[in-house]
Amino acid sequence: MKKGLVFLMLITLFVSLAYASLGFKIGVVTGTVSQGEDEYRGAENVIKKYGSDIIHVIYPDNFMQEQETTIARIVELAYDPSVKAIVICQAVPGTVAAIRKVKEFRPDIVFVAGTPHEDPPIVERVADVSFNTDDERRGITIIDLAHKMGAKTFIHYSFPRHLSMELIARRKDLMEQRCKELGIQFVSVSAPDPMGEQGITGSQQFILEDVPRQLAKYGKDTAFFSTNCAMQEPLITAILKHGGIFPEQCCPSPTHGYPGALGIAIPEDKKGDFNYILKAINEKIVEGGGAGRFATWPVPTNMLFVEAGVEVAIKLVNGEIKSADMDAIKAVFDEVASQKVKGVGITFNRFSDKGNFYLVIADSVIFGVTEF
Amino acid sequence: MVKIKNILLSNIVPIVFVVLCVSAIIIADIPINFLVVEIITRITRNSFLVLSLLIPVVAGLGLNFGIVLGAMAGQAAMFFAIDWGMSGVTGLIISCLLATVIAILLGFLSGLLLNRAKGKEMITSMILGFFANGVYQLFFLFFIGSIIPFSTKTMLLPDGVGLRNTVDLWGTLEGVLNNIWIIRMGQYGMIRLYMVPLIIIIVLCLFIFFLFKTKLGQDMRAVGQDMYSSEVAGIDVDKVRIIAVILSTVLAAIGQIIYLQDIGTINTYNSHEQVGLFSIAALLVGGATTRKASIWNAIIGVILFHTLFIVAPSAGNKLFGQPQIGEYFREFIAYAVIAFALAMHGLETKKSMAIQKAK
Repeated sequence: MKKGLVFLMLITLFVSLAYASLGFKIGVVTGTVSQGEDEYRGAENVIKKYGSDIIHVIYPDNFMQEQETTIARIVELAYDPSVKAIVICQAVPGTVAAIRKVKEFRPDIVFVAGTPHEDPPIVERVADVSFNTDDERRGITIIDLAHKMGAKTFIHYSFPRHLSMELIARRKDLMEQRCKELGIQFVSVSAPDPMGEQGITGSQQFILEDVPRQLAKYGKDTAFFSTNCAMQEPLITAILKHGGIFPEQCCPSPTHGYPGALGIAIPEDKKGDFNYILKAINEKIVEGGGAGRFATWPVPTNMLFVEAGVEVAIKLVNGEIKSADMDAIKAVFDEVASQKVKGVGITFNRFSDKGNFYLVIADSVIFGVTEF
Repeated sequence: MVKIKNILLSNIVPIVFVVLCVSAIIIADIPINFLVVEIITRITRNSFLVLSLLIPVVAGLGLNFGIVLGAMAGQAAMFFAIDWGMSGVTGLIISCLLATVIAILLGFLSGLLLNRAKGKEMITSMILGFFANGVYQLFFLFFIGSIIPFSTKTMLLPDGVGLRNTVDLWGTLEGVLNNIWIIRMGQYGMIRLYMVPLIIIIVLCLFIFFLFKTKLGQDMRAVGQDMYSSEVAGIDVDKVRIIAVILSTVLAAIGQIIYLQDIGTINTYNSHEQVGLFSIAALLVGGATTRKASIWNAIIGVILFHTLFIVAPSAGNKLFGQPQIGEYFREFIAYAVIAFALAMHGLETKKSMAIQKAK
C-alpha cells in the first residue's frame, strides 16, 4: 500500500515536471520562417519547455498590408480567459492598435514587445515591456571591438537608400567620431544597392572584388562592416580568403552569413543549438587562418527576445518582478542567454529615462580567441 | 431548373465563399463572441471604403484602384488636423472637409487621365496609385518640416524634416465617431455596436441609391452601358466620368478617415496601400463584376471576405497543427479565391458577349 502510494506520488511529480505547468497561458506571436527564422525557432523552444501553456500564433507574411489580420490575431488570444500575457516578436505595425483594443476589455494582460517596427515612443507607452537591439550604440561598440582586434582602418559599406535611414546615418556618424577618438582611419565606401538595377548578385560581386582592392590599399589591419544583410556572406568569404577583420554583421548572430560563407550545413537536430553552431564556425575560421579576426554575437537577439520575453512575462504575471525594474529583467535575460551559450554578457539601456523600453547589446565572441 | 442553375452560376463567387466561411468557422472553433465582435468591427471599418467603388463601376470605369488617392487625401487631412491642435468631433469634421477639398482636386486630375485612357481604366488607375504613392512619400518625407511648416515636433523625425512612420491618434481622433453612441450587447457588454459609423454607412447607401434615380445618376448608367450612344444622345460623357471619379475619390477619403479613427494609429507610409486591393477584393467576393455592382454586393462582400480573414488562420492552425502552415493556408485560400473571382468574371463576360453575338 505504502509502496503504491509513493509510486503514485512519484508519477504525479514526474508528470508535473515534464511540463513546468504555469497555471495560465501565454500567447506568443511571431512571423513565419520566411520572415524571420530566429523568433520562430524561439517560439518552438518555449513550446518545448511549457507545452500547451504556450499558444503560438503567426502574423501575416505581408504584415505591412494586412494590419487588420495582425490586430485580429492578437485580440483573438485575449478572448481566452486563461491567457495572462502576450509576447510579440517582431512587433509589426498593428501591434499598438491591438494592445489598446485588448487593454479595453482585458487590462490584466501583460504585453511584451520585441523588435518593434512602429515608432518607439508610442510602443513604449502601450506595451508593458519592450526590447530592441541598441543599434545606435553599436556605432561605438563595433569600433571598440575592431580596435581591440587590431584594426587601423575601418571600411563602412553602404549606399544612399540605407544612408537616408535615420538610424543607419546616425550610427555611421557615431562610428566616424569613435574612429577619430581611437586613431582609426574611417573610410566610407559606396556599394551598389542590392535593390538597384544590378540586383543582389551585382552587389555581392562588388564586395568580392572590392575587399582585395581595399586590402591592397590599406593593408591587412582593415576592418569591414556593411549595412546590408545580403552583403555579409561575400564579405566573410572575401575577408577569410584575402585577410582583414570582420567585427560584426549588420544583424549580429552566428546564423547570419557565417554558415553560408563557410559552407556549414546545420543538421536538423542541431538547429537552434548555438554551442554546436559556434563550434562549427570556430573550426572553419581557425582552419582558414582567420583566428582572432572574426567575431559576432553568440545568440540572435530575436530568439532571445521571445524566450526571455516569455520568462519576463511569467514573472510579471506572478508579480515576482516589476516592468520598470531594469536589473531584474536583465537578470532574466542573462539566465536565458547563458543557458544557450555559457557566459554571454548582456548590456541593458533604457530608450527613455523612465520608460520600460529596453535597448540590448550582447558581448561579442571572437573566433579563435573565445573558448567554445 | 435552368433558372436555378442560372442563379447559382451567376452567384458562384459568393456561394463558394459562404461554403468556405462556414466550414472554416466549424473547423476553427473560435469564441463566437470574438467572431461577432470582429465582423461588426470590420463592417464599420471597411464598408464605407468598399461602397466608394460603386459609382465608377456603374459609370463604366470599372474597379477604381484610384481610391488609394482618396485614402491618401484622408490621411493627409488627418495629419494636418492633428498638427493644428484639433481633436474630437471638430477635428474629425475639419479632417473630412480638408480631405474632401484635396480629394476633389485629385479626383479631377485622375478623371482627366482616365478619360484619355478609355477602355484601360483599371490598369491606369492602378499605376496611378503607385505613382501617387511616390509623390505622397516625397511630400511627407522631404517637404513636411522643410517647405511646408509643421509645428508638432513629436510627429516629425528627429532632424525636423519628414513625418515619423507611425502617427498616434490616441487622445485626438481615435474612436471619435465610435464613441459617440455605443450599444452594448451580449455577455459583459462585450459586443459593441458603434452606431454613428453604421448610421453614416446607411446614409451613404441611401445617397448612392437616390443618386442613381437623379438625372446625373441616369446619365452615369447610360455612359456605363454605351459611351457612344450616350454621346450621340447629348450626354457630356467626359464630364459624367470625371464626376464619377471625383465622387469615388471623395468617398474613399472619408472612408479612410472612418477606417483610421477605428484603428487608432496611422502607419504613415503604408496605411493607404492596402485600401485599393482589399476593398476591390471584398466587392468582387460580394458578387460584383467590373461592370455591375450593387450596394448589397458591397455589404455581403465585406462580411464574407473579412469573415474568412478572421477565421482562416485558426482553421489552418487546427487543420495542420502548425501555426506557420496555418498562415500559408490562409494566404493561399484568400488570394486563390480572389483570383478565382476574377477568372469567373472573365468567363462570364466572354459568355455574355457570345450570347449577344448570337442574338
